[in-house]
Formats: sequence, C-alpha cells, structure tokens
Amino acid sequence: MAANVSVQNSASERPSLRRAVTPWGSFSWGYSDVGADIFVGLGLVLGAAAGASNVAFLFAGIVYVCIGLAYTELAATYPVAGGGQYFVFRGLGDIFGFIAGWSVLLDFTIDIVLFAWSCVDYLSKLLPVIAFTQHPWTHFFFVFGLIAGLAVLNIVGVRESSAFNELVSGLDIVSETTILFFGFFFAFHPETLVHTMQTAWPTSFQLMNGVSLAIISFVGLESISQAAQETQRPASVIPRTSISLILTILIFALAYSNLALGMQTATPIPHDAHGHVQPLWHYLGNEENNGAAVAVLASLVPYWGILAAFYVPVLGAILLLISSNSGVFGSSRIAYAMSGTQLLPSIFQRVHPRYRTPAISIAFFCGVAVLELIFAALPSLHPAFKALYARLFRGEDGITFLGDLYAFGAAASYSLVFLALIALRFKDPQSPRRFKMPLNIPLTYRGGRVEFPVTAVIGFLGIASILSFVMITHQLGRIAGPTWIVFGVLGYLLYRARKQLPVLRSQPHDWRKAQINILQQAGELDMMDEYLANVKALDERKAKERTVT
Amino acid sequence: MNAIGPHIAGMAIAFGVLISIALTMYWMLHPPTTVAERAAKVVQRDLEELIGSIIVVFSEEIHSDHMMALAVRLAHRERAVLLAAYVMQVPLTLPIDAEMEIERRQALGTLANAEAIARAADVEISTEIIPARSVSQGVVDLAKRRAAHLIILGAYREGKYSGAPLGREIEQITAMAQCDVLIGVQGRKGRMLTPPTGPQARARA
Repeated sequence: MAANVSVQNSASERPSLRRAVTPWGSFSWGYSDVGADIFVGLGLVLGAAAGASNVAFLFAGIVYVCIGLAYTELAATYPVAGGGQYFVFRGLGDIFGFIAGWSVLLDFTIDIVLFAWSCVDYLSKLLPVIAFTQHPWTHFFFVFGLIAGLAVLNIVGVRESSAFNELVSGLDIVSETTILFFGFFFAFHPETLVHTMQTAWPTSFQLMNGVSLAIISFVGLESISQAAQETQRPASVIPRTSISLILTILIFALAYSNLALGMQTATPIPHDAHGHVQPLWHYLGNEENNGAAVAVLASLVPYWGILAAFYVPVLGAILLLISSNSGVFGSSRIAYAMSGTQLLPSIFQRVHPRYRTPAISIAFFCGVAVLELIFAALPSLHPAFKALYARLFRGEDGITFLGDLYAFGAAASYSLVFLALIALRFKDPQSPRRFKMPLNIPLTYRGGRVEFPVTAVIGFLGIASILSFVMITHQLGRIAGPTWIVFGVLGYLLYRARKQLPVLRSQPHDWRKAQINILQQAGELDMMDEYLANVKALDERKAKERTVT
Repeated sequence: MNAIGPHIAGMAIAFGVLISIALTMYWMLHPPTTVAERAAKVVQRDLEELIGSIIVVFSEEIHSDHMMALAVRLAHRERAVLLAAYVMQVPLTLPIDAEMEIERRQALGTLANAEAIARAADVEISTEIIPARSVSQGVVDLAKRRAAHLIILGAYREGKYSGAPLGREIEQITAMAQCDVLIGVQGRKGRMLTPPTGPQARARA
C-alpha cells in the first residue's frame, strides 16, 4: 500500500500521488478491508439473530447496497484521498466533516482491535493455547502484541505490499467460493433452512440486535474511496470495483448465513456445555466459535472441509491482520487529512524526522485501540469485572462490545455521507457525475436543473434505522459511541475557538479551484472540461440574471 | 458420520454462487476504455499489421544495406516476416530470363550481406532475386504478391539535385506502392543509418 498522505484543499501545493492502483488493486484494497468482515460478522450475527440471521444479513445488505452506490457516486465524482470524511466536509461543512471523520476514526480504531482479536481467534483453531475461552490472558497479550507490532511497523514505515494484498484477496475469493460451492452442492437442504428459521426465529429485539451486528460485515467501502486518488482512471474504474465489491460481499454474506442455517454436516456437531445437542447455527454463534465462525463452518463442509480446516484459519488470520493494519494506516491518513483542513490539531500532521511517517497519529490511535481492547477484555480477565459488566451492560462479551462500537461508528458516518450526497447534488450540480445512484427526481433549484436522489433517502432511512437498532439493543454501544462523538465535538470546539477559527460555521473554501485540481490530478481531463463548461454556463446565467434585475 | 446427500436446490445455488462471482470478477476487470486507450489499441493493432511482413529492397539504384539493421530490429521485435529482395533490371533487348552474370553476382553479394545482418540478430530472413523490366514495377508486383505491409528502401545522397533526389526508381515506388514505404536517407553526420560497407563504417572500423 502506498504510504503517502495528502491534505485535501491544498491540492496545488501537495505532491501528487502516483496513479498506480489498477482495477484489481482497487478492488483488493477494498476487499482486504470488507472481505475480512464476514470472518467476524458471521458468528456474531448467528449468535444474535439465530434463525433469522439470513434476514438480518439481507436487511443490512440492502442498506449496504445503498451505501455502496452512494460511495461509488461520490468517489467517482471527487476522486481524492479522504473518502467519507471528505464528502461530508465538502457537502455539509466543517463541523459535520469533523463528526464524520471522528466517527470513521472510531471505526478505524475498532478495526485495529476487532480484527487483531479475530485474527488471534482464527489462529487459535490451529493453536488452542491462544483460545479466548480457555486462556483469556494469553489471548489478551497476543492481541496486544499484534496491535503494538502493527504500530511499530507503521511508524518505521514498513507496510504490506499491494501485490501481497492482491494475492491474499485473490486467494480468499477462490477459497470462499470453493467453500460455498462444496457446502451448497453437497450439504445444503432447503427443508433444513425452513425448519431452522421456523424453530429458531428470534424475538424482535434479537433481530434488531442481529441487524445492527450484520452491518459490520459490510464496513470498509471507505478504503476504495481513500485509494481514489491513486487509482488509474478513477471515474471509470471505481464504479466497477465498488459495485463488484458490493456484489461479492453481498453474495458471500447471504450465502454463508443461509448455508449456516440450512447445512447438514457430514460430521456430528459437538454437544454444548450442558451436554445438549446443538444446531449448527448455535455452534457457530456460541462464545467459543463466534470469533472464528467461517473457519469452523468451512471445516464442516463435506470433502473440502478436510483441507479447509487447515488453511482457512491461516488465510482468515492473514486477511484479518491486513484489515487490522488498514485500521492503523487508515486512522493516521484520516487524522493527517483532517489536521490539514484544521479539523484536528496540527500535531496529527507531524511527521517523524527519521521515518517520515505520521508517528504521533499512529501512536495515538493505536493507544486508543489498546484502551478499547482493555475495556473489551476486562470481563474475561477478572470475575469482578464480569459481574460489574453483567450488572451494567447485560453481560455483553468483549467481541460483541467491539462489534457494537464498530456498527455505531459506521452507521453514524454513513448517515452523514447520505446527507452529504443529497447536499452535493444541490450545491454542486456542475461536477460531472460519471455514475449516479439510481432513481432520481429532476428538479429546478435556484434556476438550475438538479436531480434529487431517492435511493439516498432510502439508504439514509435504512442506516438511520440500523443506528437506532444499535442504540436500542446495545447497552455498551449506546453509551460508548455517543460518548466518543461528544468528547470529540467538545475537543473540536475548543480547538477551533483557540485557533480563532469559525467554531460552528465553515471556513471559506474555493471548491471550484479544488475540483479543477482534483480532476486534473486524477487525469480525468474530459470531466475537467465538462466541469469548466458547466461552471462557465452557470456564471453566464448568473450574469444574465443580474443584468435583468 | 452423517450421510451426505446433495439436493437439487443446493446444487443450483452452488452453481449460482460460482457463476455470479466469476461474472462479477470478469465485469470488474474489463472496465470501459477511454477514447485515448481505444486510439492506442487501434494504433498498436495497425502497427502489428503494418510490420507483419517487411520487404527490404535492393537494386542497382536502390542501396538499402544501411537500412537492414533497422529492418532486422523491427522484424525481431514484432516477429515479422522479413524478405530481402534484389530487383535486377533486364533490358528490353534481352529475354526476361536472360543470364546476367555480373548483375547476378552483385545481387548475391548484397543479399548475402543482408542475410548475415539478419542471422547475427537471430532473425529469420528469406532472400529473392527478381528479374524485372522496370525496378519500380518489379518491387510493386513483389509487394503485392507477398502481401507486404512495409517496403523499406535506402538511398544515399547522390549530391546534385536532379528533380528526384532519392532516385527516380524510389520516387516511382512511393507513387505506385499500395502499402507503406519507409525510405532511409543517411544524414550528413548521421550515425544510425551508417551503411555497413560505406566509408563512415570503414572509418569507424
């Protein structure tokens, strides 16, 4: 992965990023982030939504498709590093840009710890000595060691190569397709699926909980947008890679959840702790297996499972580690960009004199990740905390707490992205959009033609409902998530007041100049010409109106 | 161990997953091309066609030995078929298949040189001596017969301006040829098109 970072609205002064990311590179950049989510999400959703896990994934999947379409439109229109944070910053102004960025930063810090945690869970299928349920302290130190290791590697400037990312993503797609093919071909029975859905249908509360956790299987589209500035022909390539990523992840999530509910295993499933027979979905969703559900499911697939039992934990662990690492450099990237636009203090832009990396950003956000790890691991490390958590937070376990926060951060930032998309359709209709979300209503706004995106409204309602599900069903998430936002906003207000910058309003930005620079640097010269023509037409129309009045 | 029994619905879904992932990947890896990329592809295809078959022409008046190195490089890179042809002009007073010992010896020598240059670069070459009433007509007929994409000709600066500074035969070939014609003229101080047997090459040796 490229290590370069950039500041958004000083495009003309910054060194441009090399456009070396190919369509496969762009896809694998996103896939290494989103693709890992199902490894974490499957077990959590099965544990929460039981026989309606496929419905939970379907609901979250529909919302995710809307999110994906919104990101695709925005990333193809504004191919800059920064992703959702930049879109909101541009569409809704400074303070909302900060809130979106701060939510994304929460997600990235959770990304670091959640995927490191799951990475150890997957490895524990081959090395039982690090299993969370049997050896919580060993598990804790392994996760801590991974986070510290990633922080050090990122500070000294060692990153995984794009080629390695592309290879792992390719292997994983082949592997998951093979697992699903063998699973459905030899062991799927629709009667079993119907029976499981009927007998294990959850309560509305559990279903809402499941939906709120299912959305974490789809978080990470951000990565494709962040790589937009380095992608070859972003306006043509990004829509393809984004839509392909959406489809691939959706197919995997729906297929895995239906397979888990409707598969008849070749080998008998072990009895639960009380000696009772347990169905497959319950076995995958219990505390012992929910961190590594895909590996367990793969090992139970007829024929291929014998092989999958050995390589899926390793492949899953590698993918999860890459995803964890994307949280480390993603957080430093976003913080660097936000610092450049005076949404965060300039300390986050400070580069290490020797290693030329944003060392303070990396250390700070890895530190936050460690705090989250401690908070998540405490109940398993000491019985006193277990009792306290049971009293205060309905006894949510560590990985569920991380999942809650992940869902909260994603839902909060995605909600703002939908609003930003709608706002930008009105504020910036001059920017050529090579891809548009479907279902648009043409309107006249301030004398010009704009298109109102109905799909964005549907997506916003969907993600807002998921956000409300998070708030309703997660005791910890409803406190920790908003607390993160409130403290962030307070810090932002103090910082802006101290710097004598507009506190609640936005600073003046020359978006026209910025857009021309963006398109020029993206190599989208046709789009730049179109933009200039649109802007010229707008100016002429305004001049005409002034003359008339 | 439970019995494994495939179900038709499961099999259909399995193939559905496989096909949909394969189609998605295919669609993603073939994004629409830009105008510039399409133009580049056309140029590339034309270039491949252009140099699919190359004829380097020699005659009494056409001195292409200094163009051989260039022709060989072009043929090597594009794996083109290379033909070195010596067109021998037969006077009207003689039958077309008349034995012309001196001219034939000169043609063989020239083609041997051409062959040596090609062999040194590990490029396959064929040679041919063409008797013709008119050199230009002989070259044009040969190019047509061999479906040549490119005729390479060389000319030395003969000094005085005579209305056809590259030689009358070359002028006529360029006027009549259906395929592209590449004419190489050595610059006064040029080094790239130095004839291997010319005075500059001898001086360098």
